This record gives sequence, structure tokens and C-alpha cells, in this order.
Amino acid sequence: MLLPRENEIAVCNKAANLARSKQGCVGAVWVVADLKRELIALLPRLRRFARTLTRSVPDADELVQEACLRALTRADQWDRDQPLDRWMFRITRNLWVSEIRKRGVRIGAGVVPADETSELVTVETGEAHVAASDLSRLMATLPSELSSILLAVSVEGYSYAEAAELFDVPVGTVMSRIHRARKALAARLADTEGEAQ
Amino acid sequence: MTQYEEKLSAFLDGELSEVEAAEIEAALAVDPDLVAELEALMVADGVAKEAFAEVLDDPVPMELAAAIQGAPVGTAANSPEAPRGYSGWFAAALACVMLAVGGIGGFLVGSPQETQVAAAAPGWLADIADYHAVYAGQKRHLVEVGADESDHIETWLTASVGATVRIPDLAANGLTFEGGRLLVAAGKPVAQLMYTDAGGAVVALCLIATDAPRDGFADRTIGAFDMVSWGGRDANFVVVGDTGRSDLTAIAEAAATQV
Repeated sequence: MLLPRENEIAVCNKAANLARSKQGCVGAVWVVADLKRELIALLPRLRRFARTLTRSVPDADELVQEACLRALTRADQWDRDQPLDRWMFRITRNLWVSEIRKRGVRIGAGVVPADETSELVTVETGEAHVAASDLSRLMATLPSELSSILLAVSVEGYSYAEAAELFDVPVGTVMSRIHRARKALAARLADTEGEAQ
Repeated sequence: MTQYEEKLSAFLDGELSEVEAAEIEAALAVDPDLVAELEALMVADGVAKEAFAEVLDDPVPMELAAAIQGAPVGTAANSPEAPRGYSGWFAAALACVMLAVGGIGGFLVGSPQETQVAAAAPGWLADIADYHAVYAGQKRHLVEVGADESDHIETWLTASVGATVRIPDLAANGLTFEGGRLLVAAGKPVAQLMYTDAGGAVVALCLIATDAPRDGFADRTIGAFDMVSWGGRDANFVVVGDTGRSDLTAIAEAAATQV
């Protein structure tokens, strides 16, 4: 009978004490295989979330990949009783915050107080944004700190308090950003209707 | 209106206290402008949900799924090791493993558009893409067709795989046939027959048509699974079970005499 590969044994040592592991070492390999599978299943939603943060498809994919690899190195911390998506959103968001600090780019996610940014950003034509449809073009007009919170609350089911924790802002800020996001979209929709008439 | 207007989104989200919500309701009852504002917010939220849902249809790049699937475990972030390149048949065997692990949910992402990617993608990347094409929209069950339709399974999988599929009786090995499913690996259709033992552990028998069947039996371990493979007349076979099963070779030999 062949043994698991060396790198698989390495993780066994790390994760062998997992409560749910089966048969020690084998169980740890199992855990990683499970986590990989669940991460892959989660990719569409992780990419969507990452896009609201990065506002760029290539950046988002890079961020998602990094977040998943980070999670895999922490497979021993994976608690199956907790939703994997929330854990991943947190890792993704934290990585992005580090990344923009590194880049020194003053965008989104609490680096620039949202109140100092304009409600709508201009989308230049030809930019590598989602921009495949009218809807995504419309969403691309929202700045990151508004669209990411809107996604979390309106779509991913975060309460205001949970979103405040995820984005590291006060609950009141979540409340105002959600409202401003919807108002900005409503205004843009009204403009579009006006143009059409 | 302003003092209420600012709370309309929180009102929509059920984030206001009862007292505050009651105030908004009272204000809405007498203020048509506020009602119009609320409706505009609801429409905007609906549009946002639609737009966000649309993003999910965007196919996941194979490279991304591959990077995660192929990440060396334990040292992922620091290791320069590239994703492993599995050979065709080995990829097929791995595909069986992945499905035996616990259903097919893991690769049910993306859309049929990804088959176009698959045609050009090498090795096991193509498998992942093919899963999308084959399984998108199918429900998550241990088997696609249950054991009560064994005749149908044989006919259907034989026609689909392009090699004769017979369901071996492995009762003597303590295995109960549960049913079968069709999957695609290494760009080819693969028949998978699922068995369970008395303890509920799953053993899968997979076969893929080939012009060059392998000689003799070979065993190997992938992750938490052992597999024993062999070649038949027009197909390669593999039996997959949990690592540590001492009876896998016996199962493979029993199956080989019947398929």
C-alpha cells in the first residue's frame, strides 16, 4: 500500500488533531481535500465579492486565489460548524486591505473615509471592469465601499452588525453606506430613464 | 422628510427598532414623497440583486480552480510547487475519487460556456471543465440512477462511454450496488458504479473506454483514497475506496472477472 505524498504528510502533522479527522493522518488529507472542494464550489461568490473590493476582474481573481491558498494553509483552523463563506469573505477582505496598503492606493474599504468620496465613480470605456451588461455597468458606477457592503447585506445576508464587523466600520456607517448605495443606484436609474425618454 | 428618509434603507432591511419602524410606517402613511422614495430604493435594491446575480454566471477561470485544486497542501502559500499534472487515465481515476468523496457539489460552478475552455485546457484542467458541462444543473445525489434501474444503467452507460458496462455483483465482498452516474474525465465519458459496504463506506468502480488497456493490476493512493486499476478488453477500470481498506485488491479482482 502506498503512503500519502510527503507534502500531504506535512499537513497531517499540522491538522492531525482535528476533532473530525478520521484515522489521524489520512483524516487531515481528507480535510484538505474537502476544503479544496468547498472552496472551488464557493469561487463564483468569492469572485463576486472580490470584484466589489478590487473593481477589476484580474485583481479580483488574484485576490480570490490568494485567499483560498491562505485558507488552505490554515485548514486546521477550518471549523465546519461555521459557514465557510463568512470565513472566506473575511480572509478575502483582510487580504485586500493589506494589498491596498502595500500598493498605497487610496481606494475603498476604510482607507479613505467613504464620506470623502463621491457617490458615483466614472467608468471609463474600455476599462477592464465587468461591464458586460447594462446592469453590471450600472453597478460599476458604485464605489467599492458602497457596493461591497451592499452585496454583503442585500445579497449575502449579513446583518448590519455583521457587516460592520466584516468591514471594520461602525454599524452607523454600514447603515449610511447601504442607504447611499441604493440612493445612488436609484438616481442613476432615474437618469437612465430620463435619457431613454 | 429627511429624518425618516435616511432610515428608509434600514427600514427595508429590518434593522430598525420597533419604535423606529413604527415611526417610519406612520410617516409613510401620510407622506407620498416618502413612499415614492421607499419605492425607488426597493427598485434600486432589486436592480442591484439582479446585477449581482448576473455576475455569478461568469465562468470561473480554469486556472483559478486548478490553482486551488493543485495547491500543495500545508505549504500552499509558500511553496513554489506547480499544480500537479496528472496524466489522462490517472486524471480519470482522480475524478472518480473526487466524486466518491461526497457527491459532485464541489465542481458545480460556472456555466456550460466553460466547455469551450476545456477543449484547449491540458490534463486534469479539462476534467474540471468537463464536470461543469456534464453536471451543471444536476442534483446532488450519490448516484444519478439508482440500483433499481440496473438494466438501464448498463445500457445507458455502455452507450455513453463507448465500452461495455456491466455491473459486477460484489455481494461476496460485502458490497451493495447503489447505482451509477456518468462523468467526464480527461475529456472522455467515464462510467461510475457506486457500492456501499455494511458500514456505509463508498467504493466506486469506474471505467473509461480505451484503445490501449493497461496490463495487469496497479494500486496507488491519492489523498485519502486507495485505488486499484486494471485494463479490460476495451476499457480501463479502477476501484476506489478509503485508504486502509484491506479488501480493495480482492474487490478489484472480483470485479475484473465480471466486467
